[in-house]
Amino acid sequence: MPSNPSRLNSCRFEGCTLTGALTVTTSVRDSVTVVHGPAGCAHHNFSLLHSTGLDHDCITVPHILSSGLLDTEIIFGGEKALGQAIESAVSRRPKSVFVLSTCIAETIGDDVTAVCGSGWDVPVIPIPTAGFLGGSFQAGVNNALTTIAGMAQPCRNDGGINIIGEKNLEYEVEQNYAEVVRLLSLLGLPVNLRFIHNITTAEIMGVGKASLNILRDEGVAGVGERLFRQCGTPFIPAFPTGLLGTIAFLDRIADACGVQSRAAVLEEMALQESMLDDFSDIAGSCIAVDHLMNGCHEYSFIHDVNEALHIRVKPEGTRVPLPESAPVGTAGLRRMLHRWRRAIHA
Amino acid sequence: MIMMKQIALYGKGGIGKSTTSANLSAALALQGFDVLQIGCDPKRDSTRMLMHGSFIPTVMDLVRERGDAKITLDEIVYTGFHGVRCVEAGGPEPGVGCAGRGIIATFQMLEKFGALSGDVIVYDVLGDVVCGGFAMPMREGYAQEIYLVTSGELMSLYAANNICKAIKRLSQRSKSTCRLAGVICNSKNMPREEELVTEFARLVNSTLVQYIPRDRMIQVAEIHKKTVVEYAPDSPQAAQYQALAACVMTNTHLTVPTPIDIDALESLALEFMQV
Repeated sequence: MPSNPSRLNSCRFEGCTLTGALTVTTSVRDSVTVVHGPAGCAHHNFSLLHSTGLDHDCITVPHILSSGLLDTEIIFGGEKALGQAIESAVSRRPKSVFVLSTCIAETIGDDVTAVCGSGWDVPVIPIPTAGFLGGSFQAGVNNALTTIAGMAQPCRNDGGINIIGEKNLEYEVEQNYAEVVRLLSLLGLPVNLRFIHNITTAEIMGVGKASLNILRDEGVAGVGERLFRQCGTPFIPAFPTGLLGTIAFLDRIADACGVQSRAAVLEEMALQESMLDDFSDIAGSCIAVDHLMNGCHEYSFIHDVNEALHIRVKPEGTRVPLPESAPVGTAGLRRMLHRWRRAIHA
Repeated sequence: MIMMKQIALYGKGGIGKSTTSANLSAALALQGFDVLQIGCDPKRDSTRMLMHGSFIPTVMDLVRERGDAKITLDEIVYTGFHGVRCVEAGGPEPGVGCAGRGIIATFQMLEKFGALSGDVIVYDVLGDVVCGGFAMPMREGYAQEIYLVTSGELMSLYAANNICKAIKRLSQRSKSTCRLAGVICNSKNMPREEELVTEFARLVNSTLVQYIPRDRMIQVAEIHKKTVVEYAPDSPQAAQYQALAACVMTNTHLTVPTPIDIDALESLALEFMQV
């Protein structure tokens, strides 16, 4: 897979498919995820999710069980070990069990789907996650989201909005969500479900209740399309970025939901004006933004903020940090400008 | 004291590798050599005639039942006809797991026990080298001399030619000592079969080391659960295996094979086929 050329697209073009899927399944609070492979595949990912949680000031103990494959299971087949692991998972009384495969399990041809389908008391849902088949971290996220979307039941539209495919490992995941909620509230629209971020199995069933899905970014477009086919819910392809992008986002959502956007747009424009005023001290600065990226990365999302503050981008300018992915909404720009200010005044 | 000789027999399924291996091991034993035969096929019947009809427990059976920690050498090595030591790698049930990995695990276990000893080790390997596991006997430290068992039938030659490709590829590795040692023709009683296989051997840069005619005596011996070498030691068929054994022990013509393409193989078959 090629490296991600664009910061507008925050999805990960490399990495482990299993890890990607785990960021989704472990965010279903009342479920257990079985990783069908050697113990290390589960342990490594447990550590990663746990330590990322700590980075976010959040102590998480992801519910992950391993089928603990050893050489014997590789030679004779690992389906029995998987059955035992699922049994152990079910005995903990979760509301759902997700079963994620690994490279070695797929190589020896274990029939994970068949084992999952052998009459368990709770839904046991297989998600293909063997990375050697060429998938990336993002493929794992998408496999998990589309598979879990399949659990949803048809239900009555109640006017809420779903947030689809949040990056659960993203440092600013909560701030980005809060910004989208704030923008929706300007339009008087409530959130139906964060699909999938810290939700329950029962809540999954209600993913079809929303009148609109907002995708985190284009990396999860396939999930948006899947939910559109399944539940008929239209989708907005990405969180808002840039000053104009945020205004356009309000318009698009209002349009999709059949509400008036004028008041919300005026309010947001006023907020943006006042934010720009707050950063008048760095107006007219000269910055360099791509010193780490050899100039190959996309950063069009700062064009309008630069224009508004008369900030010029030049190789000899003050080096300022760019976030890993495009800042979300007006609040995201504000946080970025704070960091720039520290660099400029340093 | 002679250096331990490690040979492997490869060839199409059903071509007679196990019969040839078992009779070769029996003949070598009668010539006074300390022989170890290792069946590297989940079918596990390589050593059966040497064991007078009994299927010995396989290494993988024991691993499956007990895990590898509690297994001892005398549980996996069985002594058959005239002191030939017999091992069967075994493997998973058909259709599950990974038989190739089973072969690798068996070799690791035999190494651990220091079981790979004697004057000659005969590896009787699954017909098709379908994955890396079945190429294990060709790797460094194991069989240096590969014999191809084939008849004059096109599909059998095709399989032999494919094995040449594997040997060629492995022999390019810097430490590899694996070479093609010769072609054994296990006859199907086709007209001009010996000529055909001789020519095939020449084309792949090797030689025909033994032509074994088709003989009912093989089946008669098998019904009595014995190799021909044991059942009818004075028969002409037993003499063929004695000759093969003598040849194997003195053979120094080891080559890097030159596999041929399918067109050449087909025209070779056509040339010798009487239509």
